[in-house]
Amino acid sequence: MSVEVEVNETDLAEMVEQVWESYLDPEGVSPLIQTYDENQPSEVHSSVSITGSWSGHVVFASSRVAAQRAAAAFLAMEAEEVSEEDISDTLGELANIVGGNVKAMLPSGAQLSLPQVMLAPETSTRYPNATRISGVYGIWEGEPVSISMWHSSADNKEEKGE
Amino acid sequence: MTPMRAMVIDDSRAMRMILKRIVTKLNFEAVEAGDGKEAMDLLADMTEVPELALIDWNMPNMNGLEFVTKVRADPRLREMTLVMVTTESEQSQIVRALAAGAHEYVIKPFTEGAMIEKLALLGLVPTGANS
Repeated sequence: MSVEVEVNETDLAEMVEQVWESYLDPEGVSPLIQTYDENQPSEVHSSVSITGSWSGHVVFASSRVAAQRAAAAFLAMEAEEVSEEDISDTLGELANIVGGNVKAMLPSGAQLSLPQVMLAPETSTRYPNATRISGVYGIWEGEPVSISMWHSSADNKEEKGE
Repeated sequence: MTPMRAMVIDDSRAMRMILKRIVTKLNFEAVEAGDGKEAMDLLADMTEVPELALIDWNMPNMNGLEFVTKVRADPRLREMTLVMVTTESEQSQIVRALAAGAHEYVIKPFTEGAMIEKLALLGLVPTGANS
């Protein structure tokens, strides 16, 4: 069974704003400034997969510097103290939080995977038969950050009766 | 006076660090576990049961709901205050957790202030601790 996804870019942007307010910019001094450039580069990324009533992925991608700053903000550390493990943990949790909130907006019956983290560009990961359907693309403290949703085309085939 | 103890149960080390920072600020002594099973194992070895547990839902080995159910079934652990801290925000999931025995429910992302307010409502921190 497949359902029409009801999570649009405005919803995603609100979730991202909450994450920034809660963890990355609690003082409200360095928000994510949207560029709407879905082709902006990334050096690291994390993702969670959603299966069930809707199938797809939620992907957090950024430059390495942005990921390091995110980990520093998340863990209340200085950026130079941040380890690879800190970056990996933070990226995974960011994808998990946004993915969990996306899942909550989907019809019941959706399941969320544990996060996957790749300290490599988003383009290095292939999501078979998945299409990017929405995203928030922006600059945070001069560095690219994006959060995108990918819809698995296994659903598309069902929708088309294939 | 012996400090109160809080168990922080989350498979994300980053989230454990955030929660640990908050409870430590509130003068709790924090104990960490990476999943429900590890938390149960730690509890089995403790002579004094922590007053509070902050529990993620989605974890490997034993998830948060299973942990809550096990704690509630154990008379030795019945005084623990259980707070789910999770991205699971559907109404049905909240109802399940509360029915299983969780006292409160905090949805990620949360601010430090919101978490402290919840704990204050449970009588675990002085009112106005986040002001």
